[in-house]
Amino acid sequence: MTLSVSGLSAVRSGRTILFPTSLEIEPGARIGLVGASGSGKSTLGHALIDTLRAQGSCVAHVPQSPDEALDPLRRMAFHWREAETALGLPHDADRQQALFRALKIETGDLRKRPWGWSRGMQQRFVIAMALIGAPNLLVMDEPTSALDPIVAARTMVLLEDYLAARDTALVLITHDLGLAAGRVTRLLVMNAGRIIEDRPTSELLAAPRTTQAASLCAHRNWLALPC
Amino acid sequence: MTRSLLGLFLRAFVVLTGTALATFTLLWNAPGDPALAIAMARFDAVVPADVIDLVRAEAGLDAGFWAAFRGWVVPLISGNFGNSSVTGRPVWPDLASATSYTVPLALAGLAIGLAISIPLAVLATRHPGSWLDRFAVGIASLGAAIPAYWLGLLLILLFAVKLAWLPAMGATTPSHVILPALTLGLGVAAALTRIIRSGILEARGQPFMPALKRRGISEHALAREHVGPHAAIPVITVFGLELAFLLEGAVMVEVIFGRPGLGSFLVGAIEARDFPKVQGVVILAALLFVGINLVIDVIYRLIDPRMGTQNA
Repeated sequence: MTLSVSGLSAVRSGRTILFPTSLEIEPGARIGLVGASGSGKSTLGHALIDTLRAQGSCVAHVPQSPDEALDPLRRMAFHWREAETALGLPHDADRQQALFRALKIETGDLRKRPWGWSRGMQQRFVIAMALIGAPNLLVMDEPTSALDPIVAARTMVLLEDYLAARDTALVLITHDLGLAAGRVTRLLVMNAGRIIEDRPTSELLAAPRTTQAASLCAHRNWLALPC
Repeated sequence: MTRSLLGLFLRAFVVLTGTALATFTLLWNAPGDPALAIAMARFDAVVPADVIDLVRAEAGLDAGFWAAFRGWVVPLISGNFGNSSVTGRPVWPDLASATSYTVPLALAGLAIGLAISIPLAVLATRHPGSWLDRFAVGIASLGAAIPAYWLGLLLILLFAVKLAWLPAMGATTPSHVILPALTLGLGVAAALTRIIRSGILEARGQPFMPALKRRGISEHALAREHVGPHAAIPVITVFGLELAFLLEGAVMVEVIFGRPGLGSFLVGAIEARDFPKVQGVVILAALLFVGINLVIDVIYRLIDPRMGTQNA
């Protein structure tokens, strides 16, 4: 089932930070949402989550860093149970093991608190937690910016392998086009609260139409930086 | 955990030793002749010089500082608080009876303080900045500014003199504890309300809270499982200080309400220059203080095991 939203917008203290936006997301789509800081990427992500949930879809969210996803005073097992309860699901050890194996965190000690795990494992735990309900859409807000590039790439590969056989669509919010380029088939470029380009990744990378998209593309070529 | 507990006990030991040494040194070097004061208190008349010397030898005041200190501390380790230098009777039974009046008063004050401050702070933080919130903060500031002795007198004036609902002086019936406990409790409530309120607000501002909400965790579960433990950390710190304040404040409140207890025990002992009694009170207070802090440190580590480690 194609997820579709229209008229998403957001106003904060009298200023429009997201102009009315409509979006269609195919099952299993891989979409990158890129743009400069403050262009409204995260706002669109949050609006997308709230609206789709209101329509009855299961949408999961992975924030930037595990510090923003896990309570340092609570054990990992507690976080997992809590996420299951929030989705209205009973505890299922098999599902947990399957997700842990997929993200290679089966060696983690669930009795420990988040800071007892490495950050890379914490973030994979958060991703595993987001997948508990087999969501229609997974919104990842700069999911790897707290990780070093090698761990970030490995984490994304594990996630892609897991999602390959499933219908879950992925929206990857990032300002790092390098991370998104090889992983998404469709790129949305945002600027000042609007989607200014929405095209297949290869097309956009080859011939960006707007200056914002051009500067994001140029950023990958260190010899041709716009500034 | 074991190592940090060992450290806590070591710290407690150092504090207690320091307190014992400091108290003893102060009393030893207090101006005036303690032997004369003891003799006066005991015989209530002008005493000849040889009787004073006799008293001095009996009280162990002629043996020199360290010998006298040892003579007090060594029995103390086995729980012997020594004998009163005035009456010659053991200190502990009197001290225990005084404590049995003060501790229930302090605990009642604490219970009242908690019963007021927790609901008030929770209500206030429901809508930060609302009139209820401002009212709670205002009451808390007012309560912190009012000294216990004045509040005590006002309560006596209202409930004992005007309304004649409650007794004001003495400690013969359980209802005698109400007014002094209320005096202490209102002071505690004032301090705790502000701390609990800011603790809750700070916990709600933790970076992971928005993601937990977005995960679909209910408001109730968020408050109980995440805000509560985070808010508890600063509150527990102040709680320990409040307990110490309560024992201290109880002394003053006991004098206002004419209650027996550690207050009158200490004042009487100082007036009679009864060193063993004074030292007994100070050591007991230090023991309670150290004990409370030890318990608080352990609770800390249970809530957040990072405390006391490199991760903190």
